[in-house]
This record gives sequence, C-alpha cells and structure tokens, in this order.
Amino acid sequence: MSKKVLIVDDDPDVRLFNTTVVEESGYIPIEAANGEEGLKIIKKDRPDLVVLDVLMPKQSGIRLYRELKTDKDLVGIPVIILSGVAKRTFLRSQKALTEFGDKPVPEPENYMEKPVEPDELAREIKKFLG
Amino acid sequence: MEIKKLLFVTRFDNLRFDALQSLMDLKKAALSHVVFLNVIERDKVAMRRGKGYEKGAEIRLREKANIRFIDWAETLFEQGMEVGVYIVVGSFAGQVIQAAEKESVDLIVLSPERKGRLEQLYSGSDITEIVHRSATPVLVYKYLSQKGPLAENPFEKPLLATNWSEASQRAIDYLKSLKAVIREVDVVHVASEKDLKETSAMGIQKTRKENRKKLDALCDDLEDYGITAKPHVYIGDPVSEIDKGARECQSSMIIAGSPRKSLWKDRWGTSIGKGLAEQSIFPVLLIPPKEG
Repeated sequence: MSKKVLIVDDDPDVRLFNTTVVEESGYIPIEAANGEEGLKIIKKDRPDLVVLDVLMPKQSGIRLYRELKTDKDLVGIPVIILSGVAKRTFLRSQKALTEFGDKPVPEPENYMEKPVEPDELAREIKKFLG
Repeated sequence: MEIKKLLFVTRFDNLRFDALQSLMDLKKAALSHVVFLNVIERDKVAMRRGKGYEKGAEIRLREKANIRFIDWAETLFEQGMEVGVYIVVGSFAGQVIQAAEKESVDLIVLSPERKGRLEQLYSGSDITEIVHRSATPVLVYKYLSQKGPLAENPFEKPLLATNWSEASQRAIDYLKSLKAVIREVDVVHVASEKDLKETSAMGIQKTRKENRKKLDALCDDLEDYGITAKPHVYIGDPVSEIDKGARECQSSMIIAGSPRKSLWKDRWGTSIGKGLAEQSIFPVLLIPPKEG
C-alpha cells in the first residue's frame, strides 16, 4: 500500500504544489490548512511523513512540531519543515519554549526554506519513504 | 477575561510592528499568542473594464504582506510567542470579525478609521461595525508621538471612563484582569449638562457628590484588587471632557465601555466610543457588552 504524506500549509497554492509533488512521487497526499487540523489528521490517519509549514492560523507549525515530538506515539513520524520562516528562528523558538518549561524537542529531520523546486522536494520526500 | 490572544489588524501604514511591541507588556498579563491580519480591500484588486479581476495584483499584495508578517513573526517566535497569520481579500470590518471569531481572540488591535465623514455616512464606520458585531474589546491604537510609539506600554496608566452602564462594568472587569501591567488608573465619570439635577450651585454639586461617592467606591474596589486608582468627576460633553481628562492625567490610553446602539444611530455620530476613537489623540480601548 502506498505511503501517506500529510501536507500542512494554510496557502492553497502551496498545498496544490506539494500534493502534486507527492502524487507524482507515488505517494498519497493528505491535506490540512493549519496546525490544529493537522494534529487531528495525524492522530486519525497516522501519515508516514509530514510536510509542515510554520506560520499558519489556529496553530503554528512550531507548536504542532512540539506536540508531535513530545508524544511517544507520534514522535517516530518524520517531519520536513517547509517554510518561509528561517531555520534559525525555528530552532530559537523551540529553545525559548524549552526555557519556559516545556520538554526539549529534537531538531526536525529536514528543514527547507521556501520556495523549493519540485525535484528538490521530491528528492527529500523519497529519502524518508524510499 | 484575560488577554491571552490578540488580533493585530494592519494595513502597514498607520499600524506597524513598533506598535505591537509597545503592547508586549501584556505578556505579564497572560498574552502568549498574536494573530496578524491584513485585509486586501476589494477596490485594490477589483474588476476593471477590459482587465477583469486583477489576480496578479492580489498575488503581489499578498506576498508583500506575507514577507512583512514573516519578519514580524520571526521576532515573536524567538520570544517563545505563538503566532498566526491571515491575509484575506474582502470587506475590512467583515474580515476582522470573521478572523476574531475563528481565532477566539481576547482583543482586537487596529488603527483609527480611514474613512472620511462623508464615506461613513453612506457605508458606515468600520470600527463602529466591528464593535457592534463582535463581543471582543477593540483597541484603536494611536501613536502618541509622530516619531512612533513611546517606549512605554499604553496599558501602564489608563484612564477609565465610566457611565455606570453594563458595558462600563465589563470594562472594569477587563481592567482588573490587566493588573499585572497597570501602574495606576484614573477613573472618570462625565455628567452631561442634561444630567444635572438642578441649575443651582447646590444642585450641580449634588450631582458631583453622588457620582464622586460611586467613583470612590469603585476606586476602593480597584485598590483592594491591587490597582492604584484615582477618581475624577467632570461636567460637560463626554468626548471632549474625557479627552481633556486624559491629557491632564497624562494618561497612556482611554478605556471605555461601548453600549450596543443601532448601527444606523451610530452612523450619525452619537456614540461616545466612536467620538473618542475618532477625535481623541489617545489610544482608545472600547469594551462592548457581552453578546446575547
């Protein structure tokens, strides 16, 4: 059975781009428009990979990532961050949250800054899903 | 009624990131989440003869806003804040209300009305519409200096205007939830000339005494709550007296309840909240009554 890739991004154009890349790579795309919706889908459908934006309404990718990496049932799901927000900011924000008393979280498996070429994204997805 | 989440509505001209930074003291009072909203008004991307809907213009405006929001968000994320963003096309007031509802925010921050008096007469005031249709308090942010906001926190020394209405009571409750950021509050009641019981000196003083007694009780209550409060009674036109009071007390902002009136009545310029939002030089926080 084909592997499932969850795409979490509030921009419908970006979701369309990402789902096309996922489909053409032979996997099944699932979509969510914000972190809150993304978490519900992750718990229900358990995707094999998550491609996650950072700046979104309802819940940001920073908080969703934290929820994933501090949940023992979900921690194993690899995450590619695909965002306009710089990696350095992402890491600093996670550090700030840890300093405020939250649990430490590992660095994301992969961090890509927007925009990316389709081949580049496809290559990174394949690294995780084979 | 804590401020945990605020909606920062900007067109990038009259409300910038420095304004938001001057509100960051609210973190002491539970603020942890900021949602940015930029509304691209329809006339910017409207159908033009021979051109149709200008999709290209919309994309450019969206990306311009997005790049600015990413820059702002990076600063807030690094402080451990949660940040969200909406960039939408539509009517200003409608989109603000929709985003406030979707995100269940505790405060809406926006810049003063951009519509002129004449435009407001036929299409209404955006701020009035937002205050009427949403139960969320609205802060009409104004820069106290031409160079930008003073480094101070607008919530530091507010002036609370009360007329003993249900909306005023809600404003008092709201104020209490902000005690971690308030240094001192001046509480003002303005009796309008028509409220005076008699025209004699005795009658006028009687009105003052009655209101002063109520203000003293309110200030005692606030002080028991840990907020230093000072009462003032004025007589005259509420909007100009409140503004004058804020200047005399060197206030950092004005807080007022905003009772629900018909939108149509407000369009003709009868509400104190609307008058303050439009005429006062101070930031104005309008607290609507509860829904229902």
